[in-house]
Amino acid sequence: METVAEPQKSSHVDDTDVVIETRNLSKVYRDFWGRQKVRALKALDLEVRRGEIFGLLGPNGSGKSTTIKLLLGLLFPSSGQALLFGKEASDVAKNERIGYLPEESYLYKFLNAEETLDFYGRLFDMPAAVRNERIPKLIEEVGLTRSKRRQLKEYSKGMTRRIGLAQALINEPELILLDEPTTGLDPNGIRWMKDKILRLRDEGKTILMCSHQLADVQDICDRIAILYQGELKELGRVDSLLTVQDITQVRARGLGAEAQEEIKEVIARHQGELVSIDNPTLTLEELFLNVLQESEERPGMRHQGN
Amino acid sequence: MTIEERVPTFFEWLLPSADGIGALVKLIIVASAVTFLGLFVSYLIAAVRHGPIEAFYRVAKVLFTGVGDLFRTSPRRVLAMARLAIQESIRRWVIVVFAIFIVVLLFAGWFVDPESTQPARLYINFVLTATNFFILVLAIVLSTFSLPSDIKNRTIYTVVTKPVRPSEIILGRIAGFAAVCTVLLVMMCGVSYGFVVRGLDHRHNVDLESEEAVYVKGADGKPVLTGWQGETTTNAHHKHTFFVDQDGHGYTNMNRGHRHRVERTAGADGNPVYSVGPPEDDLLARIPIYGELRFLEKDGSVKERGINVGDEWQYRSYIEGNAPGSVEREEAVWVFEGVTKDRFPHGLPVEMTIGVFRTYKGNIERQILGEIWLKHPSKNLASTKDLFESKEFQTHAITFSPTLERELTAADLQRGSARDTNRELDLFDLVDDQGRIEVHVACAERSQYFGMAANDMYLKAAEGQFWWNFCKGYISMWFQMVLVTTFGVMFSTFLNAPVALLASLLTLVFGIFKKLIVQWTSGQIEGGGSIESAVRILRQDNVMVDLEMNAYASRTVKGVDWVVQKLIQGITELVPSYAEFSVSDYVALGFDINFHLQLIQGLTTIVFVVAVSTVGYFFLKTRELAA
Repeated sequence: METVAEPQKSSHVDDTDVVIETRNLSKVYRDFWGRQKVRALKALDLEVRRGEIFGLLGPNGSGKSTTIKLLLGLLFPSSGQALLFGKEASDVAKNERIGYLPEESYLYKFLNAEETLDFYGRLFDMPAAVRNERIPKLIEEVGLTRSKRRQLKEYSKGMTRRIGLAQALINEPELILLDEPTTGLDPNGIRWMKDKILRLRDEGKTILMCSHQLADVQDICDRIAILYQGELKELGRVDSLLTVQDITQVRARGLGAEAQEEIKEVIARHQGELVSIDNPTLTLEELFLNVLQESEERPGMRHQGN
Repeated sequence: MTIEERVPTFFEWLLPSADGIGALVKLIIVASAVTFLGLFVSYLIAAVRHGPIEAFYRVAKVLFTGVGDLFRTSPRRVLAMARLAIQESIRRWVIVVFAIFIVVLLFAGWFVDPESTQPARLYINFVLTATNFFILVLAIVLSTFSLPSDIKNRTIYTVVTKPVRPSEIILGRIAGFAAVCTVLLVMMCGVSYGFVVRGLDHRHNVDLESEEAVYVKGADGKPVLTGWQGETTTNAHHKHTFFVDQDGHGYTNMNRGHRHRVERTAGADGNPVYSVGPPEDDLLARIPIYGELRFLEKDGSVKERGINVGDEWQYRSYIEGNAPGSVEREEAVWVFEGVTKDRFPHGLPVEMTIGVFRTYKGNIERQILGEIWLKHPSKNLASTKDLFESKEFQTHAITFSPTLERELTAADLQRGSARDTNRELDLFDLVDDQGRIEVHVACAERSQYFGMAANDMYLKAAEGQFWWNFCKGYISMWFQMVLVTTFGVMFSTFLNAPVALLASLLTLVFGIFKKLIVQWTSGQIEGGGSIESAVRILRQDNVMVDLEMNAYASRTVKGVDWVVQKLIQGITELVPSYAEFSVSDYVALGFDINFHLQLIQGLTTIVFVVAVSTVGYFFLKTRELAA
């Protein structure tokens, strides 16, 4: 059984090196006649720095996928800018340094694993020697050596995600965009995917992921942004966002049941061992629901924090 | 039967001449118009979305990156996309199309009349039409369904997020589908060739009872054996008559477009033994040299066209006949160029198809007589006139030998020295300094008419290989397939699959009937535009009379028609004329497909592929693939 590597949060973050930057990024979906249908993203300002795992959270329809698609150039912004490595998202050249794992691993089902990686390798204009060296390595890394000759249509969901990740890594990208990387995976698969993401971060790669799996995001992300109805509601480091600053938490051991009633006054008197006094943390799920609730109550306002 | 249309040489077609502005100028005009219109419409759309100034920058940026992308196109990526298209086609079981094609050939007997008078023509036309149909339908379906299904399945997400340019996606798809269709086309070509050759192959035996010896009267008055004649057995719904000479070599007559070699040997028991060879002369690839045709009136004056005998099909015009040697008759004169000794060392082989118009029936069994002779274009020097029998709807082959007999001139007759004159004439004495020679034809019967068009007579310069001509027919088909694929891929960059399919089919129909549409939109066809025609149908008006409506209504109808016609004319200009790629008549009628014709087809294909792919590029570039 693989183990989850301990996240080494913050050690790779270099504030000066911005990989993704959105400025006032907005997207309005229009119908054929140009009439506004949905305002999917409203003036998003975001920065993702080199070497961090950045999580994009939000309920369905909050603008997460729109943001990723805008960053990839699959959609064009209605206003504002999306920059990757300082280049416009519509610039094809930026794709040289990017790996993308789409939500459903949209791959050609009639190809097998080797053919798939060979195809995407060719799209990066890789010479045959490089492809021949990288493809077996990647297939081994994602654990598909035994199924490399099977067509993708025969693959299970977990195997499809693995080959999807392999194609995203074929060019050894500096930036990896992962759309719902753990959705649909069994616990084993989720563990594998999270380990892989952390390892990639440890190799110095920048990762932007969006996910519904809050526990996963909490486990691996350095920073998160929470979107709701196309607006940015929360942005910051996961550890600081989840810390409840105005509450002090006392944890103690060895106290009798009767002492618990008077705990605040009597810890010292009863010579109890003081383990820690700090602020409690929320789970990400709690934070997420708080943000959503607050947004419903006070639309248009940024979350006030705790 | 001949090919009616004259094929211009490559440079006549390309460069401006008296006949028209030439393809190059036309291309420049159309390309400029499309570019200007495209930019203008793009600017308008961008201006509505982003305002007039921002729109300018956006359009300029797309153009600029477009030029950049052209230089960054990677052959490896294009090939990768092409390979994917091939794999996709294989996955879609394109081979089934080939299987259906084979089945159609197997059941061809149901469609192909076994008692046809021209079976070769029928077989060749059948296989070429069938292949063309199959390959074009396949090309349209493959090319229009691929990209939309990628967009629908979102597999395009994983492609466009790699450093792939829209140009590479388009070129790769065109190349991939063209490769698949090429393989199928080659397979179909091979099978079709086998089908034609095997289908036409048959043998006869000699019906020994019909055999009789042929004698002529010798110098001493005694009969001299010249050979044997008789009939073959009936096989493949026909039989032949034959003649073999004293040495036992001979041929059957031409029947159903072919003949057989016949050999007669003496058997062991003294009885003759005949062997009849396979069919010959049915699969030809004649290389013709066409000439200019003009007509001489009875008084010797020259005119461009002969008499109109009231035929609706005005391809041929007619000359009135008169008795042989009569001055009171008209002549048709062909002038051929490039006649040299090197080219025609064994004489001048002429092939012609003459139409006949009888003003009285006469003996209907007998053909109308005509005269044919050669003349120097400027000197008063001609060969004697040869009588020939018109063979309507058949090709008439006459070879003028290198040594001819000179026709007497008026001066000869005046001198009265005709008998003493040396009348031997070298064929090439009739050729002028520019290598030109005239062939005159006259109808030798009073009040009967011969009809002819320029292409009805040609010099048979050489005989090409039939199999290669057959392949050239498939090369023209290949050009069409590439064009159809390119249009299909272009439409699929901005339309969904069924609509792209429909658009491609419409383009094909427009292309096939381009000539007719141009005639209609330029008012050469009587009856007016669509609304006027509808009005005429409802009112049961003749197409030749003016529209009988009040001036206002008439002007409105004609005005609307004019707009519709101009719109359709504009669209038609942007579509290749597929009729110009159709060469099945050449192969079926046994004419070599001209190199210039294929060069024109090839260049047309390249220009359209470049232009249509460019349009597709901009559609794909400016399209939101995730929308």
